Amino acid sequence: MKTADILRSFLGLGRRNNGRTDFSALFSSFRDVLSSHNRAVEEIADMADKLSGDYIFDVNYIRPSYEHLRQAVSDAVKGFDAFTDDSYPQLSSAFYRIDNEIVRLIHDVPAAAAALVVHLEDITWDMERLVGGKGLHLAEVKNGSGLSVPSGFAVTAKAYTDFMRHNRLDEAAARLRSAAATEEDLAALRMMILQGEFPHPLSDALAAGLSRLRKGCGRPCFLAVRSSAVGEDSEFSFAGQFTSVLQVPAETDQLKQAYRQVIAGIFTQKAVAYLERLGLGPGDVRMPVCCLLMVDARSSGVVYTSDPSGSADALVISSSWGLGEPVVEGSVETDHIVVRKAAVPQVVSRRIGRKSSFEKGASSGGTETVGTPAGMTDQLSLEDDEIIRLAKQAISLETYFRRPLDIEWAIDRSGRLFILQARPLRTGKNGGRKTAAASALQGFTILMKDKGSVVQRGAAAGRVFVAKGPDSLDSFPRGGVLVARHDSSEFVRVMPYASAIITDTGSATSHMAALCREFRVPTVINAGDATRLLASGGEVTVVAGDDGTVGVYEGIVREVLDQPSGASMEDLYEFRRQRYLLRYISPLFLIDPLADEFRPERCRTLHDVLRFIHEKSVMHLVERARSGSRGRRAVQLSLPVPAGIMAVDMGGGLDIGEGRKKASIGEVVSVPLRALLEGLTLPGVWHADMVSLTAHDFVGSMMRMPDIVNDAENFTENNFAVITREYMSLSLRFGYHFTVIDCYCSDLMRNNHLYFRFGGGATDMAKRSRRVDLISFILKEFGFSVLVRGDLITARLANVTREDMERILDQLGRLLAYTRQLDALLHDDSRVELYARRFLEGDYSLSK
Amino acid sequence: MKHSIMVIDDEKIVGDMARLSLEQDGFEVETFLSGEPALARLQHKRFDVVVTDLKMRGIDGMEVLRTVRSLYPETKVIMITAFANLDTAIEALRGDVHDFFPKPIKIRELKASIRRAIGADVAAT
Repeated sequence: MKTADILRSFLGLGRRNNGRTDFSALFSSFRDVLSSHNRAVEEIADMADKLSGDYIFDVNYIRPSYEHLRQAVSDAVKGFDAFTDDSYPQLSSAFYRIDNEIVRLIHDVPAAAAALVVHLEDITWDMERLVGGKGLHLAEVKNGSGLSVPSGFAVTAKAYTDFMRHNRLDEAAARLRSAAATEEDLAALRMMILQGEFPHPLSDALAAGLSRLRKGCGRPCFLAVRSSAVGEDSEFSFAGQFTSVLQVPAETDQLKQAYRQVIAGIFTQKAVAYLERLGLGPGDVRMPVCCLLMVDARSSGVVYTSDPSGSADALVISSSWGLGEPVVEGSVETDHIVVRKAAVPQVVSRRIGRKSSFEKGASSGGTETVGTPAGMTDQLSLEDDEIIRLAKQAISLETYFRRPLDIEWAIDRSGRLFILQARPLRTGKNGGRKTAAASALQGFTILMKDKGSVVQRGAAAGRVFVAKGPDSLDSFPRGGVLVARHDSSEFVRVMPYASAIITDTGSATSHMAALCREFRVPTVINAGDATRLLASGGEVTVVAGDDGTVGVYEGIVREVLDQPSGASMEDLYEFRRQRYLLRYISPLFLIDPLADEFRPERCRTLHDVLRFIHEKSVMHLVERARSGSRGRRAVQLSLPVPAGIMAVDMGGGLDIGEGRKKASIGEVVSVPLRALLEGLTLPGVWHADMVSLTAHDFVGSMMRMPDIVNDAENFTENNFAVITREYMSLSLRFGYHFTVIDCYCSDLMRNNHLYFRFGGGATDMAKRSRRVDLISFILKEFGFSVLVRGDLITARLANVTREDMERILDQLGRLLAYTRQLDALLHDDSRVELYARRFLEGDYSLSK
Repeated sequence: MKHSIMVIDDEKIVGDMARLSLEQDGFEVETFLSGEPALARLQHKRFDVVVTDLKMRGIDGMEVLRTVRSLYPETKVIMITAFANLDTAIEALRGDVHDFFPKPIKIRELKASIRRAIGADVAAT
């Protein structure tokens, strides 16, 4: 007998089937669990709100706030363990694991006894500070999505610290104040790093790591050795800022030398300028390094899963022969392929670039640029079936990471596709700033019109500076308009001071393009002959329009200029540091209770822990009710719509006779459930006709594909309302949408509360986020405080009268019925407001 | 002419966040990490609004308030503090402050308070 059982038996609580006393005690502890749960959710929402950028806080804010939250979650976990008779012992382990990580971050304590080398397959989600952003993302691709990633390992932040300390370089790095660091200071430090010795444990760890890699290689193998800074590939792109060393023979000495080169790469002017822009000094970086087996690439390139200058329904592939470095550096012409996202992706356009040379790995190590054999120069570097395979993998990765991505890939000589990197894509939208009013531009001399492609929209003015080479950047004037032949990530050195950038050639998928979007510098590439048309020293106004149009005008047209955006809160180190904690607190990853990963050990955040508690508490109660001797406690609701809801009456929620298996809506006397059902079943709101879902709509989903039409039997196992006269805890699953409502509705206004959570969806991300916009728009109209994260909505309402609560529940019922299929119709942003307004006006038609 | 705001707080993040958000609205902002240099600056320049932390080492918010009152009776003072309780609020209000905010401070409310202080409804410039 478990301890909890003994205790229960001692206290006379008994186990199941003991009748009403047992059940009311059970319900009381259920309410206790949910009450702690709700308190914790409130704390999370409050913390997310305070750290949203809408508040000024100080460094002392986070500690007491987190202490409150931790107490509430701890109470919920303890209550849950008692309530479920310790059925899920792993949940408290998960809670302590997450709590430890947060406390460590708050107190800035480095991970204890950290490993020096971690193989990709051993990297877990909570190792970012150890293995860096790139290592973490690749491990997630490999271990989470199941796509092919080359084998490899991360040399950790601990290894970096050990290496720097061993060579007494840590203090030298910390002394470098970025603004004052001269090229001489930096060069001296780089030299010392390149001559640095490895501490023995690190040497041993590298040798052991290589030995494990070589076992799976089976041929002379080479490594790609790259930086993997914390935050790299997630919050900040770090695109092209640090050094990569390719085709490194997989031998310890060569790896060590490559490692030194990558570490030294932090201390270049380019990297330091980038770090400075982010509010970091060179001494603040503890750089993990990623070592991957080189792919013997026949073709490589980049995919943007959303067209940064166009439709979110299309993805863009840049591809060339050989290794991918020249593609991401934008230094070669590439094939440019646009693919429409669909169940079977469709190629919309192919533009073949003239690929006169390509980069390949040399057999003795290192890379070399060679001429493209005749006949291949103007040949597409991808076969049709490879384009489709690549598009499908890109779409599934976008779904996995739940956001548009910038993916680097390679196809080897036997046609195998590898993902080399996946990072969030910044889409170059104008951040809400106003763009040009066409009328103000009339009368100004046009220097360049409708040439090139916009990679970052905006309007800016300044003196033209035509760059002659990297060295000439030293004389770049503040506020200048940089004009250059080719794009280059070297330009990051002047990006903080550049008002706009225009290049003759370039790629929308290059590092420079990513950086321009990150820093919101209006940028036009592929303008052809901008270096000829625009003369150094002349004042110009550059308009990179929202619609992709380009105009360069003589003189400064103040009326059209964007307001100076200045720095953003995200640029403040302390702000970012405190917000970083939220990633262990507020995101919700455990959404689908029917999915395999709905397990305590998969909890990544405190919100996940709470979600698990809520779901399993309800299920526990329902199971106990079903197996109860009185049987009638769990009854099916007979409704005019096939919502398939089972009501579990804990007292006073239903007015039905003994032994009944079904209850009609008229027999529901639970105030909150009755009000919700009134709305849910209102004639005209629940549409029986199936909205046409194209295969395209399902593409975004990697979930199973149940019929989204009204199959009542499918839902009866999933939809539950635990009720009393004044209380309702409702869990609903309609198709792909998951909804949780927890509500108390009585005559005592101060006791009334409503907690609403909504997530999931079958259609692609864009439509899902439109649905989120629509629902949060409507909820705000009803007075909810709404928190939106990804495609998940959490909304709260308290202190309202019973009458108001009933009215709002009625509206919520309508909203659930109405939005069941709506996301399939939300083809563009304008529809959001259209359908929201219709709903608020009581028009529930789904017609276009 | 731009309205000028002085922000004094011994936490750098407070001054940085205040500067970022107020500059976006067209205010001219100077930030200080303690009372001493702020008072020295006040000898040379008048600000439309002074936003100061109440509890600071050395010269505290009340002393800043007294100095501002004697030098520029028309300058409005907004007091902020991490240790919000009734006593500090009463003390601050007795010293004739324009407004009083416990941290974290909602930026929108701070901006609205500053606009009231300078007698502007919307525009800052």
